[in-house]
Amino acid sequence: MDLLFLFEWLDTSFLATMSKAYGGVFAVVQMFHLLSMSMLGGMVILSDLRLLGVLMKDVPSEVVVENTNKWFGVALVVLIISGIFMSSAVALKLYYNEMYWAKMITLLIGIVFFYAIRKPLLKHDHSTINPWALRSLAVSSLIIWFTVAASGRWIGFS
Amino acid sequence: MLTGGSSAILNELLLDLARYLDSFEWSTALHESYYMYPWIETTHVLTLMVFLGMLCIIDLRMLSLAFKDTPASVIAERLDKPMMIGFAVMVITGFILYFAIPVRTTQSIWFRIKVVLLIAAGINALLFRNRMRESVHTWDTAARAPKRIRVGAMLSLGFWAGVVVTGRTIAYDWYDCHKELPNFMYWAAGCVDELAALQ
Repeated sequence: MDLLFLFEWLDTSFLATMSKAYGGVFAVVQMFHLLSMSMLGGMVILSDLRLLGVLMKDVPSEVVVENTNKWFGVALVVLIISGIFMSSAVALKLYYNEMYWAKMITLLIGIVFFYAIRKPLLKHDHSTINPWALRSLAVSSLIIWFTVAASGRWIGFS
Repeated sequence: MLTGGSSAILNELLLDLARYLDSFEWSTALHESYYMYPWIETTHVLTLMVFLGMLCIIDLRMLSLAFKDTPASVIAERLDKPMMIGFAVMVITGFILYFAIPVRTTQSIWFRIKVVLLIAAGINALLFRNRMRESVHTWDTAARAPKRIRVGAMLSLGFWAGVVVTGRTIAYDWYDCHKELPNFMYWAAGCVDELAALQ
């Protein structure tokens, strides 16, 4: 499936008119992207390190996961909206950027992993889940989101 | 407010220091390196998730927006260590990034605002810690923290967001010294040579 048409459309959209014409607006949106990245990363790190028994051992992992999931969702929404806006400024360039696709693929994996696997599984009482399943869940989650963030930063360098 | 004379001396001193750092071979090598500089910069940015992430969770607890049923002191104490580890990494990588591009950074209005915000955030954090220590036993398990604590948490989020934002804008060249700027900006960014040329 060739998605070029999507990028061509984005490149001529209203968003692109704004993001290309006003460097200041682009910068402000990028700041929201960065701040919500900090929040999403913080939620991932805290909940996964709790599942690994590294942080907040005296707080039940169910409580930690429940509280972090909510803000993870908020941060993800802001990241996606600001991300689409930022993409519109350089849509066609991004289409031919390998790092961009590396990020998009890991992001997709991350979202599916989070909402289709991790969240439903962790709804159960954690003591009934195999500890190794919990640990591999946490390690996978940390690796996936680190890759998303790192490849995202690297779009700018490549 | 600094008077014209003393601010000029301060700006000269800062620029001299920056030029001294810039004279090191290592500084140039780092700036021009193909992978090293991007890796250090990436580490600096990604560690935000550790430092600001943990800080965010602590402040959200104080604003009763997360972990309402967990004692505030538990959140603050357990997350203190990872937060400080993140902070240490950010300070170290931050100094290396400054060392790689000392002159332009010294004369960046954004970097200067960032340093001021860092100091403000630091003072706020110290006051916040003291207030926590004095009063936390009276409200620890309450979902809603006292007003003083909530104000501190909001200021903390605001200052640190400002630090991130101004950190990011250092990369933009909108107000670099070589551009034509209002006199006030030359003064604020410490564009020593440009100011001298005006006189």
